[in-house]
Amino acid sequence: MSTSPRKRPASEAIVAGGVVLLLIVIVALVFWSGAGNSLYPPKPATDRAHEISNLYNIVFAIAAAIFVAVEGLIIWSVLRYRRRPTDVDLPPQTHGNNLVEVLWTTIPTVIVLFLFVISWDSLNKVDAVSSDLTKTVQINAIAGQFQWQFEYLDANGKHLATQTRPLTGDGSGGMAVPVGRPIHVTLTSHDVIHAWYVPRFLFKRDVVPGQQNHFEFTVDADEAGQTFHGQCAELCGTFHNAMHFDVVAMTGADFDAWLAKLVEQANATQPPPPSGAPILKVEAKNIAFDVKTLEVAANAPFVIDFKNDDPSSITHDVQIRQSDGTTVIQEQAAIPGGSEQNYQYNALPAGTYKFICSIHPVANMTGTLTVK
Amino acid sequence: MATHALSPAAIPAYRGGLLEWLTTTDHKKIGIMYVINSFLFFLIGGVFALLVRTELAVPGIQIFTNEHVYNEAFSIHATVMIFLFIIPMLAGLGNFSVPLMIGAPDMAFPRVNALSFWMLPLGGILLLSGFLTPGGAAAAGWTSYPPLSEKLAQSSPGPGQDLWIAALILIGTSSILGGINFLVTIFKMRAPGMTLFRMPIMVWTMLVTSVLVVMATPVITSALVMLYIDRNLGGSFFLPDQGGMAVLYQNVFWFYSHPAVYVMVLPAMGVISEVLPVFSRKPLFGYRAFIFATAGIGALGFSVWAHHMFTTGAVFLPFFSLMTFLIAVPTGVKMFNWVFTLFRGQLTFSTPLIFAIGFLTMFLIGGINGAFSASVPIDFALQDTYWVVAHLHYVLFGGSVFGMFAGIYYWFPKMTGRLLDEGLGKVHFVLMFVGFNLTFFPMHMLGIAGMPRRIADYADPSWADWNLLATVGGFMIAASMLPFLWNVFISLRNGKVAGDDPWEGNTLEWATSSPPPPYNFDRLPEIRSERPVFDARHGLVAHGGHGGPIEEEAPKALEEGHVDNQGPGGAS
Repeated sequence: MSTSPRKRPASEAIVAGGVVLLLIVIVALVFWSGAGNSLYPPKPATDRAHEISNLYNIVFAIAAAIFVAVEGLIIWSVLRYRRRPTDVDLPPQTHGNNLVEVLWTTIPTVIVLFLFVISWDSLNKVDAVSSDLTKTVQINAIAGQFQWQFEYLDANGKHLATQTRPLTGDGSGGMAVPVGRPIHVTLTSHDVIHAWYVPRFLFKRDVVPGQQNHFEFTVDADEAGQTFHGQCAELCGTFHNAMHFDVVAMTGADFDAWLAKLVEQANATQPPPPSGAPILKVEAKNIAFDVKTLEVAANAPFVIDFKNDDPSSITHDVQIRQSDGTTVIQEQAAIPGGSEQNYQYNALPAGTYKFICSIHPVANMTGTLTVK
Repeated sequence: MATHALSPAAIPAYRGGLLEWLTTTDHKKIGIMYVINSFLFFLIGGVFALLVRTELAVPGIQIFTNEHVYNEAFSIHATVMIFLFIIPMLAGLGNFSVPLMIGAPDMAFPRVNALSFWMLPLGGILLLSGFLTPGGAAAAGWTSYPPLSEKLAQSSPGPGQDLWIAALILIGTSSILGGINFLVTIFKMRAPGMTLFRMPIMVWTMLVTSVLVVMATPVITSALVMLYIDRNLGGSFFLPDQGGMAVLYQNVFWFYSHPAVYVMVLPAMGVISEVLPVFSRKPLFGYRAFIFATAGIGALGFSVWAHHMFTTGAVFLPFFSLMTFLIAVPTGVKMFNWVFTLFRGQLTFSTPLIFAIGFLTMFLIGGINGAFSASVPIDFALQDTYWVVAHLHYVLFGGSVFGMFAGIYYWFPKMTGRLLDEGLGKVHFVLMFVGFNLTFFPMHMLGIAGMPRRIADYADPSWADWNLLATVGGFMIAASMLPFLWNVFISLRNGKVAGDDPWEGNTLEWATSSPPPPYNFDRLPEIRSERPVFDARHGLVAHGGHGGPIEEEAPKALEEGHVDNQGPGGAS
């Protein structure tokens, strides 16, 4: 076999080594300067999130080391071993080496087993659920296309009240939680698969119809007053991207007051519609209103007797908007499928308006309200 | 005797022009048609990708009339890219190369081979015809999880989803037939001397890929049939309110679709395992270790499917986490073997090698960011976010697509007799490499920050910059196709004539003419190692009576042997 040992100028090794070193320096600088922070999770806000974030840091450090080592080796080989015009004879025909094969099988095996063990250990903490639910705040999260409802239960698991609107800002649902107390969430869906996801909790769990998933977390005490953005993370249909919710962390006292108020509202008997106010009937079924046009007198309050005939996980409401279809004038709390409510609206000046389900703003759930 | 004379009883000849392409059973022509057909679907899938990226460039709904059409766009993008581009493109490269590499005249079942191919455009037309139906094409993602893919009012009531099912069953049948064909070809059609452990790695990866295809594809077909029954015949396999189970579909679906990832990656690994040794003038480091690693990936590949389902709450987490971590080991072995093939070699930076190095550097990232998701608690944070989108594109684009372009540049001279232009090839690579990283690296940041995948709009303004960057990168990838297409066009007309063996190749396809004649070989060199053409070139064949370069013999024999020596590329 015609091979020749290679004699190469030392300058080549210096150049190749320099480039590899430069790569290492750049990676180090990116992280040292803080520019690498966007590769790290957002600030964890729960006990579980701290656990996951710490695990992430370990995995990231190992991953970065492997990346720099192997990528460096590739770049070194590519730069160092260019074929030169003088390379006529073949390089040494190395067919392999059993020792290095064993080494680069064993060492990675040890590394991944280590990662598996610390992940498993961490998983047991993240997935832990209290055996005694009376010490937790029990919340049922019910996901439906394209709305979240959060049911609050008492210590015995009895239904207290349901929060159907976001607590702050936009979205299609919201939950309030006390800091420092374990929260036990039960997930239910009656239509398709959704996923409960809050980025700052570093956690998501699928909401699977026909199956109840549970998880727990405790929000850090110093997060009281914070609002966390959450959203559905499993494709669930046309308005999947709009299925936001917010999680508002409160001090224990604030939460208790908030919940008491929610229960009070839920138990309050609805005041009867002002006598003489006209009552219009609207029904929703299969994500569609049964009427497309309504007519009321100008400058007089009116009532819509709204019935939701869809499955219980699907909520609807009837908002009055300007004729542009986007500017909201009057809104109502959404009601779950299988229920009925008298929505009371204030007097409107004469004109043409839209009535629309804010949760399903599709053509089938939009109609024209004429006020004259 | 240094060569085996193969003399078919009748001298075959190709028919002329279009008729030949429509009726051919020649594995080389079918392979080329696979490549062209897959490339057309790559362009179609790419247009959908650009639509998606354009929509996401800035917050708000801009180019789509509503969110549903956006859902159709990403669903069809992924379905086309996976089932009509990556899988058939690699099957096409295998179709062209495998019989040549083992010294066979054709595939074992040439007519079945033609049937496998022709099912693909038909499947593609079925899939895309969903856009013409009321309700549009399938919009439940390429995974089409029920109940979303069921016939419910707010789910997938239209026929687009049924067309998706029919198309996938058709394409799956094509895959199974192709897989059986490869297995029989590799086991029964090898030339004398071509033992299993002298087969090129490309052939080994196609062997393992075919085993995966034949074992796994019938399983997804069962999921598709169940979904069809649910939708159209009153079934309730996946409808919980009628006694069905939604997660059952996911188990059956991923039992195929995870091995399918290896179907999409192993042949690309095979390509670069041919390219790296040739362009570094060294044998592949650890040939046998590489084969065992390939077989190991194939075997472990069947025990990791549920890592796509960690967040369902219906998976035995430690087992699937452990297996997912372990599958990194044989993949790492391959990575080290490739790098040590380059190590102390003499590297010639022709376009195939550059794309192969692109594969190494990008697939490494795709392997490392996958390890994060193998850790179940971290997966709770990352699952269904843009991190996963980044990961899968580093594997399937950074890995498979760079690998297949290495293969296209490597075998183009064998397919057509002409070399592709090196300068344009390098422009193609640089644009694609930079565009790829601009597009997909920022998705790590988006995913970890909390952006879910498959959303038509995003609320958080801090995600806008990364999204805009990704969109710019996407258009750069699209632009990289222009120099490639121009390169193919001018090279077919005016390209440098390749000769039999332009790269100083190792494997048998370089021992015949470019393009090869019908039935491939008139004589074969002695096969005494995994590099028979290398051995012949360097006079290393045992009892080498002739020992001379075979390039001098083969073309002469071909001229004598064939009246019509028009190759696959010549008909255009």
